[in-house]
Amino acid sequence: MGINKITIVNYGMGNLGSIVNMFKRIGIETQVCDNAGGVAKAQKILLPGVGAFDAAMSRITAIEGMMEILDQKVLVEKIPLLGICLGMQLLTDGSEEGQLPGLGYIPGGTIRFPVSDELKVPHMGWNLIEEVNPNPLTKDLPEEPRFYFVHSYYVQVTNPYHRMATTNYGFDFDSVIQRDNLFGAQFHPEKSHKFGMKLLENFARL
Amino acid sequence: MEHNGIEKVNGKQICTRCIYDESVPSIRFDEKGVCNYCHMVDNLIEEYHTGKPEGDKTINELIEQIKKDGKGKQYDCIMGVSGGTDSSYMVYWALQHGLRPLAVHYDNTWNTAIATENIRKVLTKLKVDLFTHVINNKEADDIFKAFFIAGVPEIDASTDLALAETMYRAAAKYKVKYVLEGHSFIAEGISPLGKNYFDGKYIFSIHNKYGKLPMKTYPLMTFLKFIKWTALYRIKKIRPLWYIKYSKEDAKTFLEKEFGWQYYGGHHLENRMTSFFHSIYCPQKFNIDYRNNSLSASVRAGQMTREQAIEEYYNQPPYIEEELLSYFKKRLNLSDEEYDRIMNEPPKYWYQFPTYKKRFEQLRPFFYLLMKSNLVPRSFYMKYCFPVGH
Amino acid sequence: MLRTRVIPCLQLVNESLVKTVQFGKYGYIGDPINTVRIFNELEVDELCFLDIRATLEKRQPNFAILHQIANECFMPLSYGGGIRDAETARQILSIGFEKIVINTAAFANPALISEIASHSGAQSVIASIDVKKNLWGKYQVYSHDGTQKEYVDAVTWAVELERLGAGELLVTSMNREGTYTGYDTDMLRSISEVVNIPVIANGGAGSVQHIENAIRDGKASAVALGSMVVYQKKGMGVLVNFPDRVELEKTLAQ
Repeated sequence: MGINKITIVNYGMGNLGSIVNMFKRIGIETQVCDNAGGVAKAQKILLPGVGAFDAAMSRITAIEGMMEILDQKVLVEKIPLLGICLGMQLLTDGSEEGQLPGLGYIPGGTIRFPVSDELKVPHMGWNLIEEVNPNPLTKDLPEEPRFYFVHSYYVQVTNPYHRMATTNYGFDFDSVIQRDNLFGAQFHPEKSHKFGMKLLENFARL
Repeated sequence: MEHNGIEKVNGKQICTRCIYDESVPSIRFDEKGVCNYCHMVDNLIEEYHTGKPEGDKTINELIEQIKKDGKGKQYDCIMGVSGGTDSSYMVYWALQHGLRPLAVHYDNTWNTAIATENIRKVLTKLKVDLFTHVINNKEADDIFKAFFIAGVPEIDASTDLALAETMYRAAAKYKVKYVLEGHSFIAEGISPLGKNYFDGKYIFSIHNKYGKLPMKTYPLMTFLKFIKWTALYRIKKIRPLWYIKYSKEDAKTFLEKEFGWQYYGGHHLENRMTSFFHSIYCPQKFNIDYRNNSLSASVRAGQMTREQAIEEYYNQPPYIEEELLSYFKKRLNLSDEEYDRIMNEPPKYWYQFPTYKKRFEQLRPFFYLLMKSNLVPRSFYMKYCFPVGH
Repeated sequence: MLRTRVIPCLQLVNESLVKTVQFGKYGYIGDPINTVRIFNELEVDELCFLDIRATLEKRQPNFAILHQIANECFMPLSYGGGIRDAETARQILSIGFEKIVINTAAFANPALISEIASHSGAQSVIASIDVKKNLWGKYQVYSHDGTQKEYVDAVTWAVELERLGAGELLVTSMNREGTYTGYDTDMLRSISEVVNIPVIANGGAGSVQHIENAIRDGKASAVALGSMVVYQKKGMGVLVNFPDRVELEKTLAQ
């Protein structure tokens, strides 16, 4: 497919400045879009997200034509889409955090971390990821790839073939998922300097 | 094309040896079409025996003197560092010759990360101490903006003078008598004696007229300070690259391999104000492209063919770092309209403002003596103590 | 992977980066954005900015600069200085800072911490305590950039801040700051032993060994570095740097 512009969906949740800047730093052009018309022209989509599940799904469905165009681009045209943090959770069927259904692009659920004395919730800080299935996103990452995580809920995909990388926080949870042209990263690549840069570059070069 | 050794490019006569054309101030061509700047370089090489055994002998004697005068002191010499090729290589060279330098940097707060990282990598590996003066970033911007509004060419003069003052202050603090500068007339060429000029009074005058913030952290070199450092403290300026064999290309390769040093993509582009000055300000406002300095130097040194230099200079525009202009406008708080308006205003020049120039000319014999003792560089004497036709 | 967080803590006075010694006079370090770019190059895991005079100078946080900083940083960020109400805190978090730091405001308005924590989560609130050890060895808490004595001791105040909902504590030794003599591990331990939230040691670091001492003896969960990351070494010039990662991992691996 080659390198093309990344369309970043702005539904009002998430700090896009760092994402735009990191892409700029690696020489990739981006375009921030808050409407369906802009997303219609996308060649690659990035779905960011910080905050609560239901709030995000409400905002996305509230944008006129957005759900339809996302289905069109992702399921019919099959253009690559990467969901980050909450954005990855939105790709699943739903979350324990809320009532609304997710986008359902990758079968699975979003579950609350168990509360314990040793491991505080949210999971916040740098942590290692371990590739369990070869995939273009985690290819050629620098040694001991670590990323910055901040989340209280984790994703569990239904199909193990969609699980690309895991991270340990008391147990192994899904940190990178993929189904065909759909990708998810639970961490914040835009806050994970050289590791994030390589991952976003891999996405851009799909 | 015409006869008699006259070669032209774009309708202007061009030196047959380097690439300076007739628009370079104070240029003259001999009967073979070679310019006076080429002759100046030849004369300097002959006088200083650059890269020849006599040159090495002179610099080695100077080194021995520096070591002797430095006995019992923490450092025996001061070296200005910028993160650039010449100054980085010079620190290595100094250590190779058994000197104990103190590296000095004046930070005008516009450095690129590459420059600062280069300084850190080289000095850490060589275990050389660093002395810095950092100006308040808002004050730096105020002074730059004053120069920009004034419409004079020397927008980066405050940095050059501040570095000189900072090096003297460091020398005085640690009782060091020698400042080693990485200037090379072979690698950088000879700056044409022309419209550019700066001294402490000039900087003060421009800032006084167009600046808004009080000058508190900027290290201004007044005339008295200059006399204090040179005549009273007797701090000498030595330029090793005037004596030794030196190839900028080889130095770059060596620095990259030895220290992980990084090239920042162009002469003087390690600092964004210097970049702006070279790539945008001078070409666009004053129609001057200083690349001919270093390109001519490369041609004279045989590191580039004249044809390559002509192609690069006359057929390709200067490289402008992406976002350099937006960074400049943001730092100086200039809207696009303000920027365009000021850029389009007619230029002003140094002789329209109060400076020390007359004083330097009147005290020529005094500065001649200082020059003879290496207390002021020869180029300073030539530029400051003689009237300049304008 | 480095499990212990080592956080460069940079001081802002409005739009300039500075560094104080023992909460006294400050020297200029440079332009904040340029400095952030260097820390990006150095790949530090986290960065903290404190506008040390915002409260004293009765200023609001400088949002223009904070926007630029957040956009430039490729790692998680915290900000403190002049945050007096929950709305300001929310705004700062929304422009791309992961955490906010509260110090002086907590004395006049303790409920502020609870308010921010309940809306944005405890993990987004760092409560900062500036501590001076007096002649009798007592650890006294100060506010307003170390200029106003608050009549409470460090341990009592730390416990109260945890109760109010702070997610972490940034504990700064005013005596040690900028001295390169090491953290006050006794003070750190006395606080770490009575709270359950992470304690970030601040003030006095001069070497990787000092960092180890803060973790091992001071029982701190994380450390902040000030002078050590902006000067080449004690008494020498400004040169942004970060301890060698390999050395850090080796020393802290135990």
